[in-house]
Amino acid sequence: MSGNGHSQSGVRFGMAIDLDRCTGCMACSVACQAENNVSFRADESDKLRSITWLEVYHLQNGKEYPDYQFTYLPRPCMHCDSPHHSPCTFVCPVNATTRDEVSGIVNHIYPRCIGCRYCIVACPYHARDFNWWDPKWPKSMESMLSPEVSTRMRGVVEKCTFCHHRLLKARSKAYLDGIDPNEATYAPACAEACPTKAITFGNLLDPESAVAKLSKDPRAFRILAKLNTEPKVYYLSKHQWVHKLGDNSF
Amino acid sequence: MKFGRRAFLQFAAGAVGGTLLSPMPWRLADDTAIWSQNWSWRPSPERGPITTVPTVCTLCQGGCGIQARLVNGNRAIYLEGNPVHPINAGGICPLGAAALQYLYAPYRIEQPMKQTRARGEAAGFQPISWSEALDDLVKRLARLKSEGTPGGVACITGSRWNSMDDLWARFFSAYGSAGLFKMPSHSDSLRATAKLALGKDSSLAFALEHASYVLSFGAALVEGWGAPARMQAAFMRWQKNGAGKGAAKLVQVESRCSMSAAKADQWVPVVPGTEGLLALGIAHVMVKENLYDADFVSRGVLGFEDWTDMQGKVRSGFKKIALSPAYAPDQVAARTGVDAAKIQGLAREFASTANAVAVWGGGQQNVPGNIYHEMSFFALNVLRGNLKSGGLVSLVPDVPFQPADDQTAASAEGGAPQIKLGSVPGTRVPLPGNGIYGFLDILTRGMIPPLEVLFVHDANPAYSLPENKIFKAALDKVGYVVSMSPYMDETAMTADLILPNHAAFEGFEDVVGLPGVPYAYYAVSRPILKPRKDTKHSGDVVLQLSKALGGNVAAALPWASYEEYLKNRVNALAASKRGAVADKKDIDLSKLQSSVSVSPNFKDGTDLWKKLTGGFCWYDVPVDVRSAVDTDSGKIELAFRAIQGKGLNVEDDQVYLPHFKPLPPSGDEKEYPLLLLSYGMLSLSCENLANPPFMTKTLWDFVLKKNDLFVEVNPATAGPLGMIEGSKAVLKTPQGEVAVRVHLSQAARPGAIYMPQGLGHTAYDEFIQGKGVNSNSVVEVQVDPITGMGTVWATRAQLRRA
Repeated sequence: MSGNGHSQSGVRFGMAIDLDRCTGCMACSVACQAENNVSFRADESDKLRSITWLEVYHLQNGKEYPDYQFTYLPRPCMHCDSPHHSPCTFVCPVNATTRDEVSGIVNHIYPRCIGCRYCIVACPYHARDFNWWDPKWPKSMESMLSPEVSTRMRGVVEKCTFCHHRLLKARSKAYLDGIDPNEATYAPACAEACPTKAITFGNLLDPESAVAKLSKDPRAFRILAKLNTEPKVYYLSKHQWVHKLGDNSF
Repeated sequence: MKFGRRAFLQFAAGAVGGTLLSPMPWRLADDTAIWSQNWSWRPSPERGPITTVPTVCTLCQGGCGIQARLVNGNRAIYLEGNPVHPINAGGICPLGAAALQYLYAPYRIEQPMKQTRARGEAAGFQPISWSEALDDLVKRLARLKSEGTPGGVACITGSRWNSMDDLWARFFSAYGSAGLFKMPSHSDSLRATAKLALGKDSSLAFALEHASYVLSFGAALVEGWGAPARMQAAFMRWQKNGAGKGAAKLVQVESRCSMSAAKADQWVPVVPGTEGLLALGIAHVMVKENLYDADFVSRGVLGFEDWTDMQGKVRSGFKKIALSPAYAPDQVAARTGVDAAKIQGLAREFASTANAVAVWGGGQQNVPGNIYHEMSFFALNVLRGNLKSGGLVSLVPDVPFQPADDQTAASAEGGAPQIKLGSVPGTRVPLPGNGIYGFLDILTRGMIPPLEVLFVHDANPAYSLPENKIFKAALDKVGYVVSMSPYMDETAMTADLILPNHAAFEGFEDVVGLPGVPYAYYAVSRPILKPRKDTKHSGDVVLQLSKALGGNVAAALPWASYEEYLKNRVNALAASKRGAVADKKDIDLSKLQSSVSVSPNFKDGTDLWKKLTGGFCWYDVPVDVRSAVDTDSGKIELAFRAIQGKGLNVEDDQVYLPHFKPLPPSGDEKEYPLLLLSYGMLSLSCENLANPPFMTKTLWDFVLKKNDLFVEVNPATAGPLGMIEGSKAVLKTPQGEVAVRVHLSQAARPGAIYMPQGLGHTAYDEFIQGKGVNSNSVVEVQVDPITGMGTVWATRAQLRRA
């Protein structure tokens, strides 16, 4: 239904998040909301209803005081690279969500989405959120909305886009500068905001890129890798208990 | 004509086929889809050219360089770190990332407001013009001055580390009042320690980028300690060796598994409030086993060996105190819960690892600490020899504004005269620090005349002052409360007059020095937009008041605007011909050495102003702490010689020295068997800015669920109380009683309850109002008898099922 899953270029954008460097400040989550016009409601404590493109999970080692330890795990969309389809793109009945084979980014066209939420059911990472209600901002805060990212309406699904609007800008700029747009790199809002540079972003297929090297680090693991979703977000941790939790279902 | 069934079917099929071949159904479907997406109430952000304006963030004292993205030059849509800026190098904290939610907050005050009904009545606020508001205020101030009672005017400001602090000091000096107070901060303690030990009125600085071993006594290093982004960058360096092996080992001494403890290489859990005792236990081992820098101590320190006081009496030195049996490992183990072998191990590791430093103090909600314990932590650095030239501990350098003004200090936090508490019988303290609690206390008790006018600027004490009822009670003794808040916060709600300041990034501000940072720093924050409301920069208000008052006040503050005042300061900085502007990427300020001067790369004040308002910061070398020591003896003093003659019973030698002297919380242990401690998170704003919606979304549902706040309790404590995860409970302390829910967590020490700071607002809007409980309403402040400063460490508490 969506693409044929074959890369047309040597570009596969991915991410490496170093959990040992993450200090749980939540700047990534906030920057994502600000960059992408993510809406908020008066009560965000119901996490099943809360729209969080970059959701942060609380992981702990299950030990008792004082052997207890915890870490936070920021989880964007994994932009699953499984052959031919990501779990979510496979089930979309209207082709609203497809994986762009030029960049590897799983995108979502809001006007095409009919709100069936099959993709939400299909995603094992719970990366997608649904607009049960129209997003509404306090009137004065409408001035903060970015024209570079469309606002959504009720009845559509939304999720992390690896800030592909920034990719388009970078590609346009490369074209104007006379560089091959496929060479264009950029940083999504979360990676740029992180004050400890825990989030690294780049082309996983470029062996010289920092993200490609980190993906091969002995500390690296992926969440639910056993499902063969081929997520393009790698996590790094020196703690074995964190690696083990990567196999847990959320 | 016969129109049979077949003909009809053929006609129908033809019609359908024909229609499908025509554009009509496809256009209809397409139009319907478009029409169904056109909900008129969905905002369509206006498009236009996007520009980037560099500036400096002033939401906290961290001094991060940022960039604002604007559409059509008139609306801000995003704030991000400025990659050129050496402090944060492109990163930003969550508060900065959410900062536009303050600029565009629905609870912003649109123009000056006057309370026309009883204090606190929301409906009584009526708009008035600036001229009306200021005329009335000038009349009051002029009258008080002419009557000879300028002391009837006071101000509580949250401004530190910027020139508003300096401006207020000039105003109050010229006006003749000693009533300028600051909201409490841990840097008050660091200054007090530096004053005692080094004879300098500056805050302490720690060269953490060069540390290989960091022994942290409860410092929330990655949760807002010091300059937050600088700490995040330092933490990144500590991790940097790859393969998960750090360049520095972090040992966190704390009762709770905070984020700093979880990120540390070693977490040392302690009984709350015994961190100072552990430090003394470590000192004991270091002295006993000769693991301290004896050469440094013998040459440069007074009060380690026995010393002679001002009356010629020989007193015990810190060596004797440290070696006393009370601080032997087994004794310390019993009270701290850290076993003796671990204490010895820590001492040996701290002493033998190169570049080891001890740090301490609160996190986001900075409060002063117990001075004896502060000096104990400091003493570890002395024993380690960290106060040498280029050492790990030094002073935050003054910014060299030339000529040095007679009225105000050039020091990073200013220093205005304060009401001499000693002038009121029974209130004298030996070594007075930031006296805000003492002041509120004597005001409430009627020991000084009631205030006529109280300014509250850049602060929300009705909410964020620990034991906030102290502030609310003091208001009864204030005739006229003037709030300068841009937001309708809890304090503004109690005001008689509101003179709204600009919101962040609408006016010029600056950053004078960074807390805990050893190199000199100055930055100017230029506005990114014109002010959106009828607000006035509080600096402009002070200058206008001064001008209208005339006489010596007008003469002392001759600037036409705050912007002009800052330009004047920058001219003064340029005249010093010191330091340089960080106008390139990847400048590593931690490499600066006091012995290697920096060549200025600015021509004059105008050039410097241009560079600073372009988002670049000014920097200069660290202080050579050895040559900066300005005590009477010329040495670093571990003995508080200055205490003598200050009315304290000084028979006991210990009084002069760092020792374990916890300030006991009130309440009967049987009635209140647990200890309540509050904690901060970088992702929950707890001082004068209410948590913005973007950040509230990130709160765990086991911290806030709907409007219920969760307190963290160990299952071993909660179980016997009949509580399970989520149980509704009543938390009671001698300060009050609040409804909470219980979150069972193994991060919590058994016997303790941990409460997040930053919720429980009763003002603002639906996005934050009424959510949770304010920790400041249940914690207790223990006043340090030596400095008179309010400390918060633990409060006795009970928890029962609701």
